[in-house]
Amino acid sequence: MSTTHTFDPETARNAVSVPSWALGPVGSRLPLGTYIEQLWKRRHFVLAESRSKIAGTANRNLLGYGWLILNPLLNGLGFYVVFGVILQTSRGIENFVGYLVIGVFFFQLSMRCVTGGTQAIRNGRPMIRAFAFPRAALPLTVVVREVLNFVPTFAVLIAVLAVLPPAENITWRVILIVPAFICQTLFALGCAFFLARLGHILPDISNLVNVLARFWLYASGVFFSIDRFVDHPALQTVMKMNPMYSYLHLYRDALLYGVDSPVWMWLLAVGWAFVFVIFGFLFFYRGEESYGRAA
Amino acid sequence: MGEQPERPQIGGPAVVVEDVSMSYTVRTSAPGGRGLAVRARNRLFGKREKVEALRGVSLVARQGEFVGVIGANGSGKSTLLRLIAGVERPDNGRILARRQPTLLGVNAALQPALSGSANVRLGCLAMGMSPRQAASVHEEVVRLSALGDAINRPMGGYSSGMASRLRFAIAVAARPKILLIDEALSTGDATFAQRSEEAMDAMLAEAGTVFLVNHAAKVIQELCTRAIWMHAGRIIMDGDAETVAEKYRWWSWNVAKGETEVANKLLTQAVDEGSMQEVRVVEDPAFERKSPRHAARNRYTNGYRPAAVWPGPTPTPSGKPGFVETDILPVISEVSVHGQPRSATSRER
Repeated sequence: MSTTHTFDPETARNAVSVPSWALGPVGSRLPLGTYIEQLWKRRHFVLAESRSKIAGTANRNLLGYGWLILNPLLNGLGFYVVFGVILQTSRGIENFVGYLVIGVFFFQLSMRCVTGGTQAIRNGRPMIRAFAFPRAALPLTVVVREVLNFVPTFAVLIAVLAVLPPAENITWRVILIVPAFICQTLFALGCAFFLARLGHILPDISNLVNVLARFWLYASGVFFSIDRFVDHPALQTVMKMNPMYSYLHLYRDALLYGVDSPVWMWLLAVGWAFVFVIFGFLFFYRGEESYGRAA
Repeated sequence: MGEQPERPQIGGPAVVVEDVSMSYTVRTSAPGGRGLAVRARNRLFGKREKVEALRGVSLVARQGEFVGVIGANGSGKSTLLRLIAGVERPDNGRILARRQPTLLGVNAALQPALSGSANVRLGCLAMGMSPRQAASVHEEVVRLSALGDAINRPMGGYSSGMASRLRFAIAVAARPKILLIDEALSTGDATFAQRSEEAMDAMLAEAGTVFLVNHAAKVIQELCTRAIWMHAGRIIMDGDAETVAEKYRWWSWNVAKGETEVANKLLTQAVDEGSMQEVRVVEDPAFERKSPRHAARNRYTNGYRPAAVWPGPTPTPSGKPGFVETDILPVISEVSVHGQPRSATSRER
């Protein structure tokens, strides 16, 4: 037996009893309640991190924050030229400019949450290695960042709608974009949670997500009316089940046309939002212990 | 450095590592050309090799102990620290700790695009501080990092020494009880060495525990009270820092000089002489919370220690207001630890 040991064999032989509040397993997943509590404690972190990411991106560009306005404008213009002028999908759609900008701008929010969420764990690795915090803060940060990014985009949207004719039919229903937006954000958050874990398990997913997001864009009726171009009734139903289709439709009805949306659309919008956010969160939570490990 | 300050009393267990093993599966590319077919074959059917980073490591670190971990590259030092920090989970065995350990790794830049100052704030918030708490420790962090005006420059432009200084300062701001330093301080200069040493001494005096991974036996001898020599995923010596580091120094000198025979002899000698603690965590059923202990009922209703309370004027033991403990470590049940040094030869499998 070694004599060089600082550890006193006398005390070692006698079991050292440790009070129950003293020792806990390291790196194991917290119970759900505590986890959510800890996540709530990190709300300031989530906000600060989101803002810093925006600032970081802005500082790299010459025009800085100007891109937050220019990017959606140019995007909308591009889609208008292709679909409105060249392909003429606008026939049969009232106020096509408004229809298009609402579709493009709001869809981009979801798309950026999805692609950002897929890479949330990889991009957050330095933070994961350095600090102990509920990892769900990382996909959450992505969504909060995109929502903050959306504020100037929304201002552009309002400006475009106000400036370009024809005039919108403004009614009290305008306020309905608030619940619709909350639902869309929750849905995007659920997607971000879900894909964050998938993207961690299999990094290749991020390539696939980019392609699928493009399909999704065309299937959501962003720049044409599904009713006009899709004849097959089954296919039409499937496409209308798509939550983004509902969200975009709700925005247009509230903001452009000033009409009531069908009830089934609201049910779909709310239902998808809660299903995705709850299951996405639980799915992410189950993988909590694995995120430190390089995949 | 120079004269050693009075070492604090060694207290109860702070970190318990019980027979932990860890392996990584990596894809190895078979040699045989760089052709497309070969590469595709490697990718799909490539040999998957298991790299055993740790093979049955046990130790108990106590409060007030400064543990140095030395060993050659690839001996499992960093893996051990990552596991203790809870960044990764071990394949086998388990790790218990008194408090959530804080890991200081070598990848120091947190958000490269942000200024050092903004990184301080982010780091503090990530550890669970409120904005007010983060603001109150900010000045202290900046002072400890000794970065001067560089604190306002983007962290991506920092030298590795500057970045690790800032990381150290942020970590210490949360008053960690268990600090794991993975070669992060080896890049600092003399000014910083002085300050970080003071900070660590203060931690130890408050019954903290520090693990330090370093290649230089000299650093271990100067700073640590105890040293652990790791080799090929095993602890081959665990004991007084001076002795262990000296033996390691001899061995590594011989390896470097190409004196493989002497080195091997020294290694076997170390394995024979050295010992690893044998640790067995015993969960005593008598302590389970079935029995109605009046004190227990409101202390941890769901089996978890209540979160550190803040805000409030409660002075921290150090007397420095503004310092807080942030902790997300759940606590299980009553455990007792049997620790006993055991000769390394007796546990060869």
